[in-house]
Amino acid sequence: MAGNVVGAGLIVEGEFTTEEEVVIEGTVRGTLTTAESLSIGSDGVVEADLRALSVVLAGQVTGNITANSRVDIQAGGRLIGDVKAGRLTIADGASFRGNVDMDV
Amino acid sequence: MAYASVIGSSSVIRGNVRGETSLEILGRVEGDVGISGDLSLGPDAVVVGTISGARIVIGGSVQGDVTASEAIVITETGRVVGDLTAPRIGMSEGALVRGSVRSEGGAASGRSSSPRSAEVRAPAPPPVERAAPRAANHAAPVANHASAAKAPAKKAPPPPVIQAPRAGARARKRMLKR
Repeated sequence: MAGNVVGAGLIVEGEFTTEEEVVIEGTVRGTLTTAESLSIGSDGVVEADLRALSVVLAGQVTGNITANSRVDIQAGGRLIGDVKAGRLTIADGASFRGNVDMDV
Repeated sequence: MAYASVIGSSSVIRGNVRGETSLEILGRVEGDVGISGDLSLGPDAVVVGTISGARIVIGGSVQGDVTASEAIVITETGRVVGDLTAPRIGMSEGALVRGSVRSEGGAASGRSSSPRSAEVRAPAPPPVERAAPRAANHAAPVANHASAAKAPAKKAPPPPVIQAPRAGARARKRMLKR
């Protein structure tokens, strides 16, 4: 069980900070910072800048993503924003518009 | 009891949380929480803002008004500084409440007997009174406030004394005009 679940139908607006894992199936607007992994489900809608250890994206994100470890944009995932991460994967069927900054 | 959404114990949200879902808060929310489903506040949860939901179980701290369409239940670890409004309100021994409590039908039940039952249930507030003596620590500051309030009251009288001659002066001017 994840530490944080923003379930379908829930809308969180503002500054969201946590040390635990986050699963988003609802809506998040503002900023989200977690020390653990972040998962945005296929119904998840995020209009926020995200900071996490790792990010798995299957829903929609408008905002910049910073991950200490990695970012995985899955098929059906949609990202408009920049990515700063050590590793990045973009699955076939994902859409992405933005810049990538990887540790080289 | 499984809630569709969870805000973890290490989480801090500065902003509003709303939606059509049930929610369990274990962390801290500095903002308003308004959901259509059930809401639970864990023992370590803190909410600074107004809360609304269907059935609200409070085991943590709330600083703000709480309104439920079904019921409010405050457990023994619950603390609320704010007004409670719901058709049904329950409080466990040990719960701390500072605010007005209003348990009235209307929001959910359309029964004609609901107002009466609300009156019967009205004695719910006593736990508040019981809670008050326990908060003896709080009582002392209140006394200080009271004495502090009296002090300025003693200082207050002089102004009218100063004003009185002014009034007299005005009166004299009026007299002169006449």
